[in-house]
Amino acid sequence: MSDNGNPIKRREFFRRLGKVLAGGGIVAVGARSAANVKSEGKADLYWQIDHEKCIQCGRCQTSCVMPVSAVRCMHANKVCGYCDLCGGYYRTNAKELNTAAENMLCPTGAIARKFVEEPYFEYTIDEALCNGCGKCVKGCSSFGNGSLFLQIRQELCLGCNECSIAKVCPSGAIHRVSYEDAYKFKDQA
Amino acid sequence: MSRLLVNRFPRPDFESGYLYPEYSYAVPNEMLWDIIDVTVLLILLGIVTWAAFRKRMRMPILAVSVVSVGYFGFFRGGCVCSIGSIQNVALAFVDPSYSLSLAVFLFFIIPIVFAFLFGRVFCAGVCPFGALQDLVNVKNFRISRPVAGALSVIPWIYLAFTLIYAMTRTRFLICKFDPFIGIFRLGGDIGVIGFGIVLLLMSIFTGRPFCRFLCPYGAILDLVSRASIFKVRITPKRCICCDLCHDSCPVDAIKAPYGNKTGETPAEGVRRVVAYMVALPLLMVACALMMRWIAPDLARANSEVRLHEMVTAYEAGPQDTMEPEVEAFYSQGRNLAELETSRNLVVSKFRFYSTLAGILIGLVIGLKLLEMSLKRGRKEYEIDYGRCVACAKCFDYCPQK
Repeated sequence: MSDNGNPIKRREFFRRLGKVLAGGGIVAVGARSAANVKSEGKADLYWQIDHEKCIQCGRCQTSCVMPVSAVRCMHANKVCGYCDLCGGYYRTNAKELNTAAENMLCPTGAIARKFVEEPYFEYTIDEALCNGCGKCVKGCSSFGNGSLFLQIRQELCLGCNECSIAKVCPSGAIHRVSYEDAYKFKDQA
Repeated sequence: MSRLLVNRFPRPDFESGYLYPEYSYAVPNEMLWDIIDVTVLLILLGIVTWAAFRKRMRMPILAVSVVSVGYFGFFRGGCVCSIGSIQNVALAFVDPSYSLSLAVFLFFIIPIVFAFLFGRVFCAGVCPFGALQDLVNVKNFRISRPVAGALSVIPWIYLAFTLIYAMTRTRFLICKFDPFIGIFRLGGDIGVIGFGIVLLLMSIFTGRPFCRFLCPYGAILDLVSRASIFKVRITPKRCICCDLCHDSCPVDAIKAPYGNKTGETPAEGVRRVVAYMVALPLLMVACALMMRWIAPDLARANSEVRLHEMVTAYEAGPQDTMEPEVEAFYSQGRNLAELETSRNLVVSKFRFYSTLAGILIGLVIGLKLLEMSLKRGRKEYEIDYGRCVACAKCFDYCPQK
């Protein structure tokens, strides 16, 4: 800061210096970040549950920003044993294997049971009723084949920059995946 | 075959010709939405620039504000926004495994490029947060200069903490404490929504409290737009010092004429500035040390560090009920030694980034003090280009059209 120079010239010098620094900074940060950009198909954008890690704690039912969580139960029929005594359908202390409410595990009655042939029953999830509590998933994984699983439905998910259920997931099972495997299914494993 | 798929029951042999139900889950076309979002962003930025520089009119900017609140806010749910994109860009900077999508990168860089060219035209009405606050603004009570100066350090501190938490992949603080997203989505954390409502009530009486005293992206744009190439002018003609524009500015970016009567000789002035320059590195070191000191406590927000605490507590005295985190830890077959290593890695990362953040905080506080102590005479009303959001409100008030 010399007092000999004309102050206007000095001010002009700082102004130009600022422009060069700002412009250079933007180009540097922009170029470095542009190098990190992954192409649209490859970038991990879609929140999904890794069911190998999921322990069905039930937090994703309540922690999603949506009024009803974007998590739903899905059924991998090709893995299902079609059992009469279904660990995901009946409570463990069910007295009788009928459709009475006190025997049902699902709190919203979202699992439909249909007779196929002796001794097999088909189970279907009504996703309009399911709230993603994961009780049936826990039952199925503990006593059955583990064909029921929780997953984030893409058409319901808002795709928040930071998924609020991913942050409370105790097993760190929720990650972003790329478009190519935007749904993690169980029977495709 | 996945670990949890236990074949307790064999796959049935159906004899009745039963067919497995077919599912098809369509993925929504996010790519199309990304293209629409970026296009809308560019169009709105273009309209604001055109209105502020060419037409010198407020009306188009008001229209842009309504469109932005409607489209980016209520319709698209406010995600991803330019403010939040700082975190994605910062995380991708230090962690190549994190994927930064093109749309997020463009939302980060386009407003900055516009700020470098034309000033904060993004803040004017394209940002749904700024637009929302501007739409409810009725009266501007001016906040005194020292208070406003002190408060304007907060965005930088917020930015520093955001960078620590984003770069260590702990949390996205901007997303967590986003005051308006709950309003746009009509739901969310009640405390944060309450904070957003308080901010909106405040912005009725003083312009844009969030933009001026909280927004970390605004801090970046503030810095860039000081050096912007084209600058908005209150009047294309000569200023007649009528003071009409001064009260119209919602962000207090118009500086009144000022005769420097402090009676300080140039030598005294130089000495004072040199003293500040000496104090600046000291302040930076002090802030860096302080941040380094609190780094292990900051790290407790990280899931690995928290898990380590939980597991150590559990192993010290096992209880009957297990926290789900601890249960998941054991079911994944992890052990304490491996967790300890990853926890220490996280803490050392925290220490490193906190030190850098401390240097940034010290630098910002020092430069703010320096800026506030510099007294420069002005003969006319001048715009502070760091604060000016190009809202074009002053144009209508100026009689020199």
